[in-house]
Amino acid sequence: MTPQMLIAAAHIPAPHVPFGGLSPLLAFLGGALIVLMVGLMSPRRVREQGVPALAIIALGAAIGLTIWQWGDQRSILDGALRIDGTYLVANLILATGGIAAVLLAWRSAAGHEAAHGELHALLLSSLGGMSLLTAAQNTVVLFLGLELLSIPLYVLCATEMRRERSLESGLKYLIIGSVGSATLLYGLALIYGATGSSSFGAIAGAISARSLTGDVMLLGGITLAIAGFCFKASVAPFHQWTPDVYEGAPTPITAFMAVATKVGALVAFLRFFDVALIGASGDWAPTVAVLAAITIIVGNVGALGQSSLKRMLAYSSVAQAGYMLAGVVVASKLGVRATLLYLIVYLFMNMAAFAVIVARERETSFGDDIQAVAGIGRSRPWLAWPLTLSMLGLAGIPATAGFVGKFYLIDAAVSGGYTWLGVVIVIGSMISLAYYLPVVAAMWMREAPASAAAPAAGPSGEPGPSGSPYPAIAGGSPELDEAGSAPAHGGPHGEVVLVAVLAGAATLFFGIVPQPLFDLVAHAGRGLGLF
Amino acid sequence: MSQTTYGWLVLAFPLAGMLTIALSYGPLKALPARTAGWIGTGAIFLAFLSAIGALIAMQGHAPDQRTAVSAIWEYAVTAGLDARMSILVDPLSVYMILVVTGVSTMIHLYSISYLDSDRGFGRYFAYLNFFVFSMLLLVLASNFLLLIVGWAFVGAASYLLISFWYRRRTATKAGIKAFVINVVGDIGLVLGTFFIFKHTGTLEFLGSFHAAAAGAFAHSKGDIVAGCILLLVGAFAKSAQIPLHTWLPDAMEGPTPVSALIHAATMVTAGVYLIARLHPLFELAPAAQDVGACVGALTLMIAGTIGLTQTDIKRVIAYSTMSQIGYMIMGVSVGAYAAGLFHLMTHAFFKALLFMGAGSIIGAMAGEQSLLKMKGFRKAMPFTYGCFIVGGLALSGIPPFSGFFSKEEILALTGAMGGWHWALYAAGYIGAFLTALYTFRMIFIAFHGEPCPEARELEEGHLHHAEQPFNPADGEIEDTDVGFPGPGHAIAERAWPMRVAMSVLAIGAFGAGLVQIPQVDSVVTNFLRPTFAASPLYNTKPSTGLMVAGLIGGTVIGLAGIAICWQLWVRKPGSARAWQERLHPLYVLFAGKWFFDEAIDLTVVRPAAALGRFAAGSFERLVIEDGLVGGAAGLTKAGSAIVRSIQSGLLRYYAAMIVLGVAAVGLYMLLQS
Repeated sequence: MTPQMLIAAAHIPAPHVPFGGLSPLLAFLGGALIVLMVGLMSPRRVREQGVPALAIIALGAAIGLTIWQWGDQRSILDGALRIDGTYLVANLILATGGIAAVLLAWRSAAGHEAAHGELHALLLSSLGGMSLLTAAQNTVVLFLGLELLSIPLYVLCATEMRRERSLESGLKYLIIGSVGSATLLYGLALIYGATGSSSFGAIAGAISARSLTGDVMLLGGITLAIAGFCFKASVAPFHQWTPDVYEGAPTPITAFMAVATKVGALVAFLRFFDVALIGASGDWAPTVAVLAAITIIVGNVGALGQSSLKRMLAYSSVAQAGYMLAGVVVASKLGVRATLLYLIVYLFMNMAAFAVIVARERETSFGDDIQAVAGIGRSRPWLAWPLTLSMLGLAGIPATAGFVGKFYLIDAAVSGGYTWLGVVIVIGSMISLAYYLPVVAAMWMREAPASAAAPAAGPSGEPGPSGSPYPAIAGGSPELDEAGSAPAHGGPHGEVVLVAVLAGAATLFFGIVPQPLFDLVAHAGRGLGLF
Repeated sequence: MSQTTYGWLVLAFPLAGMLTIALSYGPLKALPARTAGWIGTGAIFLAFLSAIGALIAMQGHAPDQRTAVSAIWEYAVTAGLDARMSILVDPLSVYMILVVTGVSTMIHLYSISYLDSDRGFGRYFAYLNFFVFSMLLLVLASNFLLLIVGWAFVGAASYLLISFWYRRRTATKAGIKAFVINVVGDIGLVLGTFFIFKHTGTLEFLGSFHAAAAGAFAHSKGDIVAGCILLLVGAFAKSAQIPLHTWLPDAMEGPTPVSALIHAATMVTAGVYLIARLHPLFELAPAAQDVGACVGALTLMIAGTIGLTQTDIKRVIAYSTMSQIGYMIMGVSVGAYAAGLFHLMTHAFFKALLFMGAGSIIGAMAGEQSLLKMKGFRKAMPFTYGCFIVGGLALSGIPPFSGFFSKEEILALTGAMGGWHWALYAAGYIGAFLTALYTFRMIFIAFHGEPCPEARELEEGHLHHAEQPFNPADGEIEDTDVGFPGPGHAIAERAWPMRVAMSVLAIGAFGAGLVQIPQVDSVVTNFLRPTFAASPLYNTKPSTGLMVAGLIGGTVIGLAGIAICWQLWVRKPGSARAWQERLHPLYVLFAGKWFFDEAIDLTVVRPAAALGRFAAGSFERLVIEDGLVGGAAGLTKAGSAIVRSIQSGLLRYYAAMIVLGVAAVGLYMLLQS
C-alpha cells in the first residue's frame, strides 16, 4: 500500500460502528462462519460433536452479550437498529430456542445427511436474521432481516435430503415464501412512496404530520405489509404453508421454526405497526383484529382430528399466532408486554412438545403420529410429563405458564378495547382442548401399541402402520456408507430428554411463579419507543 | 426469629404433618398403631409452640410496630393486580393462631384415644391436620386471595371430616349439605371481594384499609355496603348464622372430636374473625354492621329455643354453638371487637370441653347419642360429670367461669351503643336465659336420676358394648369396617389422653375469663389494641352502672335458669312433659327447628329441583344438547372440514389464497377508510 493511499484512507470518515450493540448479532453471524469452517474439517468427531458444541458456544455467547447489553436503550447505526429491552428479550428467546434446536438436531438424520457444518451454519445465520429483524428501525433493514431469516430456513427444511417430504417442504416454503416476501416488499415500497421515508420514526412523523390516514397509497402499502408479515407469522388466511412445511421439515427444524420464526415475525410486526404505523392504527388495527380472530378459529379448528402431532402443532402454532396478534392489535404497552411474555412461554411449551416428538420418532416406528406417544405415561414418564405440561400449557390450564400468558393477553385485549377479541381467545382455547387433551389421554390412558416396543428403523425406514407419511427411499449417503451403520435413530438420547424436561419444568415453574416473567417483559415493554 | 418466620412455621407444621401422614400410609402401617395420631398431634403442638414464638417475638416490638407482612413469593404482581403468597402477623392473627393451635392440639390428643380402633385412623389425622392448616391459612392470610383459598380449604376439609364415616348414608348427606351451604358463602365472599377490589385496586388487607380510609369509597357508598353484606353472607355460612345455619346440626354426623374442632377452634369462628379483620371496611358500611348485629341476635335466640327441645346430646351442643357464635357476630358487628374475640376464646375452651364430655358419654353408651336413653351417669363417670359441670357453668355464664365475663362484656358494650341496640341487649339476656335452660336440661337428664342400664354396667366396672354397631341417626345396623366407626369406644375415665385434653380445657373454661375482668384488668383488649388502633369504636366503654347491672343481672338470669332446670328435671322429673303439653305449639315450632330446613326446601331446593328437571328434560335436550353443544360441535367439525379441504397440498392454491387474502384485506381497508 502506497503512502498516498494510506493518506486517502485516513481522510474517508469511517462510520462509527457500535460493536457493543451489535455484539449479539455478531455472535450469531460469526458463529455461523466458524461453524461452517469447522464443518469442513475431516475428523468425523470434530464434525459431529465439535460443530454442535461450537454452535452452542456461539449461542451462549449471544446470551452473554445480550445480558451484557441489559438496560441499554439507544438507536445505533444512524437509527437503523434499536437496542432496547424488546430486542434484548427477543434475543434471549432466540438464543435459548437456538440452543434447544441444536440439541435436538445434534444426532438427527438431518445432521447426518446435510452435514453438520452446513446445518448449524444455516441455523445460526437464520438466527442472525431474526436478531436483525427484532432490532430493525427502517424498512430496508427490516426486509434484509426477513430475508436473512427466511433463505436459510428454506434450505433447512430440505436438510433430510433423502426424504421426499422434506424436499417438498423446502421447495414449497421457498416458493410460497417468495410470494410472501414479494408482497411485503411491495407493501414497504408503497409505504415509502406515501411517506417518503424508510425509517420507522420518519414514517410515523410523516403520517401524523401530513395526516395520511386515509391515503390510498399508504393503505395499499399497509395492506400488502400486513399480508407479508402475516405470512411469516403464519396468520390466516396466509398460513397455508404452515402445516405442510412443519410436517415435512425435519422435526428439530420444525421446532426451531415454530419458535424462532414467530419471535422474529411478531417482534417485527410489533415494531413496524406499533412504532412506524401507530398513527394509522385506526386503519390497520381493526383489520389485524379480524385477522387475529380468523386465525384463532382457523388454527384451532384445523388442528382438530389431526393424527400427526407435527401437523397438529402446526395448526396450534397458527392459533397461538392469532392469540399473540391480540397483543399487537391493542398497540399499548400492556399489549407489547403480553406478546413478549407469550413468546417466552410459547418457547418453553413448544420446545417441550417437539423434544418429546423427536425422542419418540427415534424410539418408535410411528414417526410423529399420535400413536408414538400412546402409553408413554407408564413407560417413559420423563417424556410423558413434559408433553403433558406442554399440552396443558398450550391449552391455557392454570398453574402452567400458558395460563399466565393467555391471561395477560386477554387482559391486554380487554383493556385495549378489544373485549370481543378476548372472548374469541377464550372460545379458541375451549376448542383447543379438543385436540390437546387427546394427546394427554393417549399418553396416560391408552396402552402402548404392540409394535412400538419393537426396535424401529426410524422415520426414514419403513412407513409406519398408520400410513406414516415417510416414503421408504433407499439411498446411501457417503457418510452412512462409510460408517456402515444405521443413522442415529433407535435409542433415547439424553440431550433430547433434557430439553423436554427443562422446557416442561419451565412451563410448570413459570405457571406457579410467573413474577420473573412479568419483571422481564416490564423491562422489555419500556423501550419500544413511541408510547 | 422474626414474628413472620414463626408465622410461616405455624403454617408449615400442620401442612408437613398432613403430608407426612398422607404420603407414608404404607410405612406407617408397620409402625405402632397410633403413630399417625402422634405425628398429627405433634405437628399441631409444634405449630402451637411456633404461635407462642410469634407472640413473644411480636411483644418485643413497640405497640405500633406489631403488624408485619411477609410474602414468600409473588404470584402475580402487575398492573392492576397484586397476588402475593403473603401472611399478616399482627395481634389479631397471633391471637387467632394461639386459640386455633392450642385447642386443636387438645382435640388431636383426645382423638388419639377416641378414634383408636377406627380403620381410618391415619386418614383421620391427615384430614384433621389439613383442617387446622386451612384454618391457620385463613387467619394468617394477608390478602383476600389467600383468605379465599383458606376459606375454601376449610369448607373442603369440613366436608371430608363430616363425611369421614363415608359408608354412613346420613354422614355423606350431611357432608354434602355442609359443603353446598359453605359454597353459597364462598360465592358471597368472592363477590364481596370484587366489590372491594374494584375500588381499592389491591387485594392486600392493609392496602385496602388505607385506600378505604383515603376515600376509595367516598363516591360509592352503595358498593361498600353491598360488598360488606356479601362478605357477611360468607361469614354467615361459615359461622352457621340464620338462614345459612342448617348444615351445622347435621355436621354432628362426623366423629365427636371433629364436632369439637369445627365448633370450638376452627371453621365457625371464621365469620367472627372475618368481620374483625375487615373492621375498617365494615365501619364504612354501618348498614352491613347493623345487618350483622341483627342476624347475630336473631340467631342466638332462635338457636337457644331449638336447643331446648333437642334430644340428641350432640345437637343440643351444636345449637348452643350457633347461639354463642350469634353473640360473637353481634359483638364484632356492633364494634365490640375485643369482647367478641374474647368470647371466641372462652367459647373455644368450654365448647371443646363439652363436646369431649359428650364424646365420653357416647362412648359409655356405645354410640347412642339420644338424651332420652341417658340417665344417671353421675356416679359412673365422675370425671366427665365434673367436666360437664365446668363447661356448663361457663356456657351458662355463671361467675367466675370464663363465659360469664366474655358474654357480659359483649352485652354491656352492645347496651353502651344505645338507641335500638337495647333490643339486641335484651335479646342477649333472653338468649342467656335459654342457654342456662338447655345446658342444664342436658346435664341433669344425662347425669342425674336413676342410672340407666349402661350407667349401671359402668358402675360395675364394665364398659357397655352394643350387640351390634348401629347408626344413632337412623338405627341402621352397620359394619365396623373402614368407612364406619370402629368397634371400640373410649371414655375419659379410662383413656389418659382424653383425660389430659379435657383437664387442660376445663382449666381454660374455668380460668380464661380472669384475664379480662371488667374494671380489674383487660388483657385481651390491650393485646389487640394495635390491630384496632384506627377504629373509633374500639375505645367505647360501658358506664360502670350498666356494667354492674349486667354482671348482677346476668348472674341472676343464669342461676334462675339452672334452678328451673333443677326443678323440672331433678326434683320433679316428668313435670317437663306437662309443660311440653301446655306449650304445645311452641314446642312444635322449636322441636321442628323453626322449620328452616323445610322453608329452605320449599323456597330453594324444590324450585331449583323443578327447574333442574325442566332444564334436564326439555331445555337441555333441545337447546343445549341439540342446539348449543350439537350445533357448536357440528359447526366446529364443519369448519374443520372446510379448513382441511382448502388445505389441498397444492402450491398454486396456496398462492392463490394469499392473493385472495391480500385482496380481501385491501378491500376491507379501502372500504373502511
